[in-house]
Amino acid sequence: MLSYLFLGVIAAYLIGSVSALILNKKDRSCTYASFLSASIASILGIVFSFSVLSGKNFEFTAASDLPLTYGLFVDKLSAFFILVISITAFAVSIYSIGYVREYYGKKNIGYLGFLYNIFILSMILVVSANNVVMFLIVWELMSIISYLLVLFEHENKEARKAGFIYIVMTHIGTGFIILSLMILAGSSGSFNFNTFNAAAAALSPGLKDAVFIFALIGFGTKAGIVPLHIWLPYAHPAAPSNVSALMSGVMIKTAIFMLIRVFYDFLGADVAWWGMLVLILASVSALLGVLYALMEHDMKRLLAYHSVENIGIILIGVGVSMIFMASGHPTLAAFGLIAGLYHTINHAVFKSLLFMGAGSLVYATHTKNIEDYGGLIKKMPWTALFFLIGSISICALPPFNGFVSEWLIFQAQLSSIYLSDNITKMLILFSGAGLALTSALAAACFVKAFGVSFLALPRSEHARHSKEAPVPMLIGMGILSLMCIVLGVLPFYFIRIFDSISSPLVGVSVSSMINSDLSMATISAFPATISTAAIAVLVFVVIPLPVIMYLLLKRTPEPKYETWGCGQPISTGRNEYTATAFSKPFRMWFAGLFRPRREIQTTYSDSSFFKGGVRFESQIEPIFEKYLYDPIIWVVVNVSRFMRIIQTGYLQTYLLYILITLVISLIYVGSGG
Amino acid sequence: MAEIIFGSNTMQLLIALILVSTFMILGSTRLYSCIRDFGIQSFLLACVAGTVAFSTGKDEIYIIAVLTILFKSIVIPYFLLYIIREIKVKKEVELYVKISPSLIIGGMLVVISYYLIRSINVISELSSFALSASVSLVSIGLFIMISRKKAIMQMLGILIMENGLFLGAISLTNGMPLLVELGIFFDVLIAVLIMGILIFRINKTFESIDTDLLKTLIG
Repeated sequence: MLSYLFLGVIAAYLIGSVSALILNKKDRSCTYASFLSASIASILGIVFSFSVLSGKNFEFTAASDLPLTYGLFVDKLSAFFILVISITAFAVSIYSIGYVREYYGKKNIGYLGFLYNIFILSMILVVSANNVVMFLIVWELMSIISYLLVLFEHENKEARKAGFIYIVMTHIGTGFIILSLMILAGSSGSFNFNTFNAAAAALSPGLKDAVFIFALIGFGTKAGIVPLHIWLPYAHPAAPSNVSALMSGVMIKTAIFMLIRVFYDFLGADVAWWGMLVLILASVSALLGVLYALMEHDMKRLLAYHSVENIGIILIGVGVSMIFMASGHPTLAAFGLIAGLYHTINHAVFKSLLFMGAGSLVYATHTKNIEDYGGLIKKMPWTALFFLIGSISICALPPFNGFVSEWLIFQAQLSSIYLSDNITKMLILFSGAGLALTSALAAACFVKAFGVSFLALPRSEHARHSKEAPVPMLIGMGILSLMCIVLGVLPFYFIRIFDSISSPLVGVSVSSMINSDLSMATISAFPATISTAAIAVLVFVVIPLPVIMYLLLKRTPEPKYETWGCGQPISTGRNEYTATAFSKPFRMWFAGLFRPRREIQTTYSDSSFFKGGVRFESQIEPIFEKYLYDPIIWVVVNVSRFMRIIQTGYLQTYLLYILITLVISLIYVGSGG
Repeated sequence: MAEIIFGSNTMQLLIALILVSTFMILGSTRLYSCIRDFGIQSFLLACVAGTVAFSTGKDEIYIIAVLTILFKSIVIPYFLLYIIREIKVKKEVELYVKISPSLIIGGMLVVISYYLIRSINVISELSSFALSASVSLVSIGLFIMISRKKAIMQMLGILIMENGLFLGAISLTNGMPLLVELGIFFDVLIAVLIMGILIFRINKTFESIDTDLLKTLIG
């Protein structure tokens, strides 16, 4: 039964991709064929993952004469990630039906539909591969397909640059992944993942550390941990918005999946400093991600930096859990891991929602610069509502989903008082303080993103002439908005699922210890309790009630006055609060990090008394690119320049190289070497 | 047994003649004679195939021999001559390595090949003789590609290498399956066609088929 379901998922995505290619001359039918079959495939994926989550693991091995046996292995962890992929893919596929209309007649929809389906399929195979070789093949497939999707609008110079940075970074990452997995494969003598746990136990501590570090760098590059995050703010904005939603919401999660797999399943997470390193990197990522997001005025780049932040938050949960694991507190470890997993699905849901919202804005206004928006709530009320829900979720305000997972992460961090080592205790508490700051800054950032885009008056012609996005796009966003609320209001149901995922990894089940008010009854003497359902009732019913009653009962009309000049209503968008102005205080407070540079040039028209115009330019310094990547690039370029000496350009020289190599190796072999 | 002894004597003669024809290519300065010598070499190769067919009694190898004569000693040489006529190149082979050092290097390559094949002691004497000739052909073909300037000579070099491989294959296996041989023929033919087109393009771009000029393509 399960294997038929899985086969159905694969077949539906393949049908979607092939039919997209066949129908590529007809934009409309191509759109429906490829994206509808993608959404059918994702429904099958949701059913499949739920049946694995509630039942037993799914295993499938292909019969083969090769020493390698290709096959699939879906345990609860994989099933959870298939669920995340499928939910997001379902909403995004429906959204895409509307979104790709923008490309009708301009771009090849068949190509987009083909890549889109294969992309989702490759992600599903990444989380269900059962051996190293198959995993690396589908991992590369995923990277290359997403690279082609980033290059979809290849006529833009930006997209080409983004694609280049992405492909370079992702291959550096893959290099480290291969190193890490091959050490394990070498020790076990088999490529199959299920032998790796025993293999890792047999490794010397030094090699285990190497596996850990290489995996952290390799998968961290894909996940976007600082300082390996530099490709995210380029690649995510360059891709079409439906693809950015998948890349940012889901693709980087496959790296989280493999990190959890390697750390817990393979290595056993029993070394204390591993967790501490993950925790430090995660906290730094969270904080720097949100700080750079605050400075960003390109809507999609802003969201990409928030992905860095949220990956950090997820890994804070994982890191805390690893520390507990190594210090012998499996119940607390389970709690941290559950928090991390919860934030994984939450981030997938609200980040995809926000990227789709950003896509709608781009669809309506043809610009990504939030300074050019303004007043869009009147033109696009539904998009505004959904974007607001996404913003509240990402800011971790109750009763939406972001709140629950961040609450759980804070709880896990505060549980560090049960640790005996003071330094670790301090570290976790500091990371808690960092997370608190991160949340506050995220809230500020989304006040900016939502307020400047949707409120007040339009600031450009584009914004003035925008109109609401098509219905399929709204449905896609609506589904994920609903998910935000469901995940936020019914955490207890989901925590039980996450517990069944984490219990094989950490060894204990804690669902019985967590009450329905989200407190850890048996662990903590003074449990902190909170009921999200009660908050939901409060927010959705109790508070709106008097407002509605007031509006219904209100009789007197609003008086209107002629006012003084100072009180004149804002009549144009020019004298509004802009995003740059809004983020100015942060630029000043964190001047040491941002090193802002600004330039004001005044031109005079006739004499020095009449100003012709003022040009203002403000920039922040990209620290990582300047101080980390530029020196590396410099070294590579110079070494290459040196190596160029052997590249003469004469055909004959290259043939000579071949001959010399051939003769020397033949003589070496012939002399019995 | 008589057939096999006859076969091995004839084979030794033919293989020696093939090596001689290779040295004729290496030693000539005119494109026309190089192509003619290549035709002769291919004809000798067809004779080798015929001898193998005769001594083993496998009929399909006769087909291969006929195809070799047809394509390698008639069609391909005429195609090369057609290219030379069509793009009106100078008839001389321009060299990086002069004729006499070329011949010495060729001789050294043959010696190295024989030395190398001698150290493999699992094969019979005849096969070892054919195999060392085949390795010599491959390395001399490569050397011709390296030491000649004209693009036609690069093409000829790779064809000589292919002949070397053919010689090795037929003498080691006493004839590969027909399907494989046909596949290789098709391969060679297409390769020659593509290289021919490429030479036309090079001539069109640089108004010469001197590969020196390709140097300007590096960034």
